[in-house]
Amino acid sequence: MRKVLKSTLLATSILFAAPAFAQDVLHVPNLSYRTGPFATSGTPLANGQLDYLNMLNERDGGLNGVKLDGTECETGYNTEKGVECYEKTKGNAVLTQPWSTGITLQVLPKSHVDKIPILAPGYGFSAMQDGKTFEWAFNPPSSYWDGASILLSTISDGNLDNLKGKKVALLHLDHPYGKEPIPLMEQLAAKHGFTLLPIPVGLKEMQNQSAQWLQIRREKPDFVLMWGWGAMNGGALTEAAKTKYPMNQFLGIWWAGHDADLKLVGEAGKGYRAVSWSFPNNDAKAMQDIKKLVIDAGKSQAAPGEFDTVFYQRGVLIAAMGVEGIKVAQDKFGTKVVTAEQVRWGLENLDFSEARIKELGLDGMIPPFKTTCADHTGHAGAWILEWDGAKFIKASDVMQADRAAIDPLVEVKAKEYAEANKPWPISTECK
Amino acid sequence: MLNDILIKPFADMFGAPDFLLQVLWEGLVSGVLYALIALGFVLIYKSSRIFNFAQGIMVVFAALTLVGLYEKGVPAWMALPLTLGVMYLLAMSIERVVLRPLVNQPDIILFMATIGITLFLIGFGEIIFGGENKVMITEQLGIPTGSWEFEPFGGFLSIEQRDVTAVVGAVVLVAALLLFLNKSKMGRAIRALGDDHQAALSVGISLSTIWVVVWFIAGVIALATGIVWGSRAGVSFALEVIAYKALPVLMLGGLESVLGAIVGGLAIGILEKLFEIYWGQPLLGGNTETWFAFVLALIVLLFRPQGLFGERIIERV
Repeated sequence: MRKVLKSTLLATSILFAAPAFAQDVLHVPNLSYRTGPFATSGTPLANGQLDYLNMLNERDGGLNGVKLDGTECETGYNTEKGVECYEKTKGNAVLTQPWSTGITLQVLPKSHVDKIPILAPGYGFSAMQDGKTFEWAFNPPSSYWDGASILLSTISDGNLDNLKGKKVALLHLDHPYGKEPIPLMEQLAAKHGFTLLPIPVGLKEMQNQSAQWLQIRREKPDFVLMWGWGAMNGGALTEAAKTKYPMNQFLGIWWAGHDADLKLVGEAGKGYRAVSWSFPNNDAKAMQDIKKLVIDAGKSQAAPGEFDTVFYQRGVLIAAMGVEGIKVAQDKFGTKVVTAEQVRWGLENLDFSEARIKELGLDGMIPPFKTTCADHTGHAGAWILEWDGAKFIKASDVMQADRAAIDPLVEVKAKEYAEANKPWPISTECK
Repeated sequence: MLNDILIKPFADMFGAPDFLLQVLWEGLVSGVLYALIALGFVLIYKSSRIFNFAQGIMVVFAALTLVGLYEKGVPAWMALPLTLGVMYLLAMSIERVVLRPLVNQPDIILFMATIGITLFLIGFGEIIFGGENKVMITEQLGIPTGSWEFEPFGGFLSIEQRDVTAVVGAVVLVAALLLFLNKSKMGRAIRALGDDHQAALSVGISLSTIWVVVWFIAGVIALATGIVWGSRAGVSFALEVIAYKALPVLMLGGLESVLGAIVGGLAIGILEKLFEIYWGQPLLGGNTETWFAFVLALIVLLFRPQGLFGERIIERV
């Protein structure tokens, strides 16, 4: 009888204790895509994110003793599936990572209602910079318009007037992501007197871009800028090499600067450049810890050699930004198990100073940046990376975007968004 | 406007004939590749009345197996037959596990089963090979990668040796296939099964054997397609998407016709390229290749619902 009573008491205590255990996990769901036409980009990014969280769980027992759960929901980069994944994972999430500009745009209004912050590092709608309008969305450390501005600055040697009379082609995925830089580029083209030639690439044409490159041959643009993703990058680089387009006149956004894509063309891709707010540093303390505690311990899904790449290590940085937002919230609110609303505050007060970056063991991997209530991007700037035939090397110091061109456009587009989605709440707390 | 539609495109064609030749060549290469994908669909449909939704993922699976074996240290000359062996095992497994239990089920059930095969191969392939882009072992397979450059009409024409190999390879494959279907005993059995299932069964033709053979041939075509497309833009799950390019080819050429797949593929490849370059890009902002083939196929269907070479089915009530 005593035995039965003991067992019953034990079972009851486990039952009642379960919610307490369940609470001691911070859920940071990832709407990743390891399958489909964009898996080639999505896989190393997801691996980097997951391995960073696992490293913290192994090394520090999580964050301030609370385990981090980076459960993934597979979207295949499909917007409908992405929205489903958001709905499925939002229950106990302290933040959400939609991983596609299309999904971000769909989830944006929902996150305001559900009060879950969207973390979209280096992607999403550039106007999300405006924290007053997009209270729940964050796109640190640089937006697509920052990237576009830096690319144009690079090809004009720092003075956009040098592009007067020239033709700049924008080879882009025919998707919200690919169209994102167009408003800024059109504005700058009109102001500085260059011709912008948008060349869309459809999903089914990503691997057979002969028509797009025939157009490039016919139009003879002075520069080709690429907003490519997944298999589109490999398709474009192969065609560029085939048509012998000068690689030093061909540049891409950070998602078009993936080692695996460049390896397809190898030496023929020498001279291709990409703007990037991240740079791999295998010697950084966090990377060494990941290697020791996750990769060498056989707990990673990363393929051999993936650890060294730009995308894997960018995934690490993205996870670090989310974790830092949670940490800032923990410190501010004095609780370990923070809520999504508290994490929103944390993401609004990220301070990736040189000292903090070093403290996190990420030195040399990301330029310093700081978010505020009104500025949800932080504007770290970016480096220009160059493919040397085997790997990406730094080809510039950190470059900054032209704020005078971008900020007014952010204001206009944020206002347009709020108007189109009336009644849209505008924060009155931010000045 | 009329000038832009009716006169300027032709003036551009004759004004730069070297460029027109380049467009036609690129269209021809695309067309051959579309035809190749469409053939995989046609063969299976002809013999089993199944629209094989898994043809696209079979291309990915075959190409990933080939590259994966090479990466594991298997020499290219051995990786190729081993991949064929894997495709044969896959055909056998599909017949045994999926098709055999579904004999006599409605067509829609079999179609849904091929969607199941697709989803399984996506997950299985991802577990084995990962999602990263892999480089096709083009040179290791002896496929030349250089290019020939010509100066027709004082202009410039570049022909990739890889593309020439793809065209020649596709022609040889199709010729061998036609020979097999028309001259061999097994080929005749496949055609008999395509004509009338019950009559074929009544004279002792084995449905199981035929299905394995046909799915294996579709696997061989998938491998050839995977090598050609993979050498252009890498081997990844993105190759699956190109299977959708075969749908308008099938609509145009007819689901049951080998000739239809070839003619349909070539027609769509060349016409969509011409339309994109001379009308789509200047007048519509480009990217017309995503819909042009479907519009063309729909127009044909208005006049010939069975496609250009499909069989006209008349049912008496």
